[in-house]
Amino acid sequence: MDDIMQYLPFFIPLVIIEVALMLTALVHVLRHNRYRFGNRILWIIIVVVFGYVGPILYFTVGRGEE
Amino acid sequence: MRGFMVFIKKELLEQVRTYRLWILFAVFLVIGMMSPLMAKLMPEIFSSLDMEGLVIQVPEPTVYDAYAQFFKNLTQMGILGVLLVFGGTLSNELARGTLVNILAKGLPRRTVLLSKYAAAVLVWTAGYALAIATDYGYTVYLFPNGGVANLFFSLFCLWLFVCFVISLILLSSTIAPGSFGGLILSAVALVVMLMLGMVPKAGRYNPVTLASVNTALLEGAKSVSDLTITVSITVVLILSCLIASILIFEKKKL
Amino acid sequence: MEILELKNVSKRFGDLEVIKDLSFSVPEHCVFGFIGKNGAGKTTTMKMILGFLAADQGEIRIFGERVTYGNTKTNRHIGYLPDVPEFYGYMSPKEYLKLCGEVSGLKKGIITERTKELLGLVGLEGVNRRIRGFSRGMKQRLGIAQALLGEPRLLICDEPTSALDPVGRKEILDILSLAKARTTIVFSTHILSDVERICDSIGMLDQGKIVVQGSVTEIKNNHRRDVIRLEVAIESKVEQVSKELMQMDFVSEIKINNNKLDIQITNAGQAGMDILGYLVQQRIPVLRYELLEPSLENVFLEVIG
Repeated sequence: MDDIMQYLPFFIPLVIIEVALMLTALVHVLRHNRYRFGNRILWIIIVVVFGYVGPILYFTVGRGEE
Repeated sequence: MRGFMVFIKKELLEQVRTYRLWILFAVFLVIGMMSPLMAKLMPEIFSSLDMEGLVIQVPEPTVYDAYAQFFKNLTQMGILGVLLVFGGTLSNELARGTLVNILAKGLPRRTVLLSKYAAAVLVWTAGYALAIATDYGYTVYLFPNGGVANLFFSLFCLWLFVCFVISLILLSSTIAPGSFGGLILSAVALVVMLMLGMVPKAGRYNPVTLASVNTALLEGAKSVSDLTITVSITVVLILSCLIASILIFEKKKL
Repeated sequence: MEILELKNVSKRFGDLEVIKDLSFSVPEHCVFGFIGKNGAGKTTTMKMILGFLAADQGEIRIFGERVTYGNTKTNRHIGYLPDVPEFYGYMSPKEYLKLCGEVSGLKKGIITERTKELLGLVGLEGVNRRIRGFSRGMKQRLGIAQALLGEPRLLICDEPTSALDPVGRKEILDILSLAKARTTIVFSTHILSDVERICDSIGMLDQGKIVVQGSVTEIKNNHRRDVIRLEVAIESKVEQVSKELMQMDFVSEIKINNNKLDIQITNAGQAGMDILGYLVQQRIPVLRYELLEPSLENVFLEVIG
């Protein structure tokens, strides 16, 4: 277990990216009301629950155009 | 040529302002950081699991394991990321009609397609380079000793395969309607090719091999000369996809 | 010189023949109204002119140059405003016009200059936010600006006013009237009052064919039905007036509606004199006397009837 703790600093950038993605996506979901499919609640859940995948899905296929 | 550069600039601006560029970079940065870490920590994770006295002996990971993990993540997460980010590049514009004004101004359709391809390859290459640089840094630090065979060629194979995937997306977008048409059809085509990849002996002629042979190359089990045919076929397929998509697009109703 | 010429153009979608042997031409320096019901084939015709659709038969020429399907060189003369123009929502109007200018190969200085001028013309100067938040009217105005950017000799607008509210419509028509000075305009519509406001000449499309073509005044003259509308002040006199007028040999029919009489005559000049003379002689007080102008709407309904 100690060995894992020793590598903890390496995870910091990964966590930062994950949180940054999630927050950017969350703010975008809340500020825009049009989605190519699904609704706001669905996207909030997807973005928050699914670490990296949620925000990526939102920005690539979920967000509406206008 | 003038229109080509103008439209590449527009494509890059689009990637930046719709956050797609940053998404792709994030994916590759994460792959670059995560892969060596996962390889390094795998034995520790296993040993920390208390399996009722059962002790799983995992050999000490090596540089090879780190790169194997890297390629595994690239061929899964990486290619999925590329599909999602570039899947709509043409389909969205066709579905919404944003190209109408531009084409009515006399920009040749082939220029639109080729600059879309060039811009996507550029962005993919940049993301890939980012992943490789990060991965390399982490790997050197975490695994100070040892090396692998054919690393550059193995990286090149995957690069070429993704370039093929992008050309496939463009071709699919000119064929399948709707804003998800390009994404869905190219994904289906990839799955079919993946299944064909299971047919023994046919692998040499299937571009998918370029994304599955990487570890064998690193081990030295395969050499560059084994893949000459596959690389050539993939290059020919990329050109064919581009030419076919141009021919279809030139005759497409808008 | 004819700027646009269609000769025997036909187009079918499956079994449906949308355009049948369509021929018409548009001279330079005019505003040509292309009128038809929804589904008459206006958009199809415009898309064929731009090479976005292939004509099954016939030919289309712009300045004598033939339009080809796919990449057509003739588009360099044309500015096009689609019915619902779509833009890149992540750009500002200035950035969008810059892209359009660069795509058409204009010099940097010219792009900046025209962008400024055109954004002023369409009332979007100083709007620096992204296009994605624009209203329909604003998009339509930006659409006109992008269409005029290359100083095209022909501006094609597909139903530019149909999707707009009355204020937006007026704005677009005003802008088009201003644009009239610099280019030939072809615009399609089903709103006839728009046509009467800005068009010099028109073509009416029905069932894939041009049924009426010519200048607005000419068409009105040709379809004048010579009706005099008389409004009599005393309603009790209406009956008598009608009866006595019917006896004049140039009066063919009279329709009565309260105190209004619509008198169908065969000879407008002389008949007018005689009717007025009769009214004075009989001391019949008159509220209104007018020679009815045929509206384009009447003409349109008559020809497509």
